[in-house]
Amino acid sequence: MDAAERDLLAETLRKSMTAVSGPELDAALTDFGWGDLLAESPEVAIPLVFGLLGETGAHAPLLNDVVLSAAGRAIGATVVLPYAGRSWVVWERTGEPSVGLDGELPLRSVAVGEPVPVAAGRRALGWWLVGLSRAMLALARQHVVDRVQFGRPLASFQAVRHRLAETLVAVEGAEATLLAASDDLGSLLAKAAAGQAALTTARHCQQVLGGIGFTAEHDLHRYARRALVLDGLLGSARELTVEAGALIRQRGTAPRLIEL
Amino acid sequence: MKVAEFRSSLREWLAGTDLSPGPDHSLDAQVAQLARVRRALYDAGWMRYGWPAAVGGLGGPAVLRAVLGEEVATRDLAEPGIYSMVEVLAPTMLAYAPPQLAAQMVPRLLSGREQWCQGFSEPGSGSDLASLTTRAVPRGDDWVVTGQKVWTSLAQYSARCVLLTRTAPGHGGITAFFVDMDTPGITVRPLRTMHGVDEFAEVFFDDVVVPGERMLGLPGDGWRLAMDLLPYERSTCFWHRIAYLFTRLDRLLAETQVRDDAALGAAYLALHTVRCRSHTTQRRLAEGERLGPETSIDKVLLATAEQQLFDTARDLLPGVLELAETPWRSEYLYSRAATIYGGTAEIQRNIIARRLLDLGKD
Repeated sequence: MDAAERDLLAETLRKSMTAVSGPELDAALTDFGWGDLLAESPEVAIPLVFGLLGETGAHAPLLNDVVLSAAGRAIGATVVLPYAGRSWVVWERTGEPSVGLDGELPLRSVAVGEPVPVAAGRRALGWWLVGLSRAMLALARQHVVDRVQFGRPLASFQAVRHRLAETLVAVEGAEATLLAASDDLGSLLAKAAAGQAALTTARHCQQVLGGIGFTAEHDLHRYARRALVLDGLLGSARELTVEAGALIRQRGTAPRLIEL
Repeated sequence: MKVAEFRSSLREWLAGTDLSPGPDHSLDAQVAQLARVRRALYDAGWMRYGWPAAVGGLGGPAVLRAVLGEEVATRDLAEPGIYSMVEVLAPTMLAYAPPQLAAQMVPRLLSGREQWCQGFSEPGSGSDLASLTTRAVPRGDDWVVTGQKVWTSLAQYSARCVLLTRTAPGHGGITAFFVDMDTPGITVRPLRTMHGVDEFAEVFFDDVVVPGERMLGLPGDGWRLAMDLLPYERSTCFWHRIAYLFTRLDRLLAETQVRDDAALGAAYLALHTVRCRSHTTQRRLAEGERLGPETSIDKVLLATAEQQLFDTARDLLPGVLELAETPWRSEYLYSRAATIYGGTAEIQRNIIARRLLDLGKD
């Protein structure tokens, strides 16, 4: 797939995700050929589709397909997924309201599950978290450019500028780990970096948005809630970081993972 | 030469060549060791890859220099900060020196026969580098330089200096020269730093006569020269430094008795993140892209990861820094400067806010 084809694909996907969400988006993407795309070019499909879910604020139960596909099973169903705190969840495809922190996501706790391959799913969630972070940063950026206090735009205050600069550093760093992730450890680290970046982003963006960012009418809370929920899925940033620490301690060396 | 082929041949050669440093950790010994390592690498050809034939190089992509530096840092053959100085000095000469001067001088640097330094910062011009006031005044075919530089790494060992001077007001009034350090009127006074190594110096210029043919570029090109070397600092030098930091994480894993997987994992994640970021930057450079303000992100990630690593070392090796004389103390203290040298963390965030987030003027 060349750059022009990829841009066209991104445009089409963005249109669908702006128009519909949840089961309708699931159906639209199925019609569009999501299954073939995932099977034939996962390295294109996963960053593109999940990154756009983050940026547009839409959702669809596609993580099931990524995990099922990695397990060599048929897509289109659900699979029990590990969640933070050694718990398990199912991401329903029907879209029933949820009692979770992000009520839009049809995520349901279940008592037991089976181990599943998680590397590809972690990469997918990493891209989703990076997309969410970019969306939050865009909201905060627009606010500080427009909002005037003390006779100046908020964007002219260094304390505000530096928070947003730190946010971009975290997001770009996380994206670099996702671009480099190929094996299990690389995917684990990338999910940890992306989760951490999203939490950093939510904190800084919420702060510079001031009062408006704490209201239900402003979109920030939708992205922030989703970031919190997705961080826990397939292992939270904190849990994965501890796991990486245990691994290098046991090995006695820190794997370099990527070479020039 | 292909990167993988270069790396494996180099590793084979290093395995059969003893370049390990002696027990003396003084700066004199470190600089002598650096010269020894350079000389051996140059004579065997490794140091010449990635540099053009015009300056004694054997050609090939610049990424070969990053690979060489990583192998040197991984084996602790030379102190990575001073090893990497050629990465900013030699490209400056290639881009701005008259070709015959570059051809004559650069091989002396690459081969370890000479050390060079960079006279940029001044007592009154730190973060605000463009306010520098060291004057250069024309006299016949020569220029006469008067003023003071500070934080000049290795000045006391250096044969030459890439010097920024003021020849007119403003950013466009900065002019660079390639100055022989044995010219009358130059006084070097090493600075004692908090980590106990006299790596930096103050350099005083008192009516120092510099021939006109030693100008780098044209009058007024100095600011552009200073900005042009950032991509080299932030690609090859960073890769070397990241390789060095990984060796210190490995050393910490070997020495710590404290089981704190959260702290070890966080230090590892920060290092892994900057390695991944630097990897994309190297690739962009190799594809001929022009590097710009986005390398400020690499800089913030690196400085943050370095300080986090040494903070973790202090936490997980309780008392070692404070009570025992080991390299951890000096390296920990040096890491405090990581958010200051090469443009402070605040300057980097200003650049990110202005140039990458488009937040307008502050």
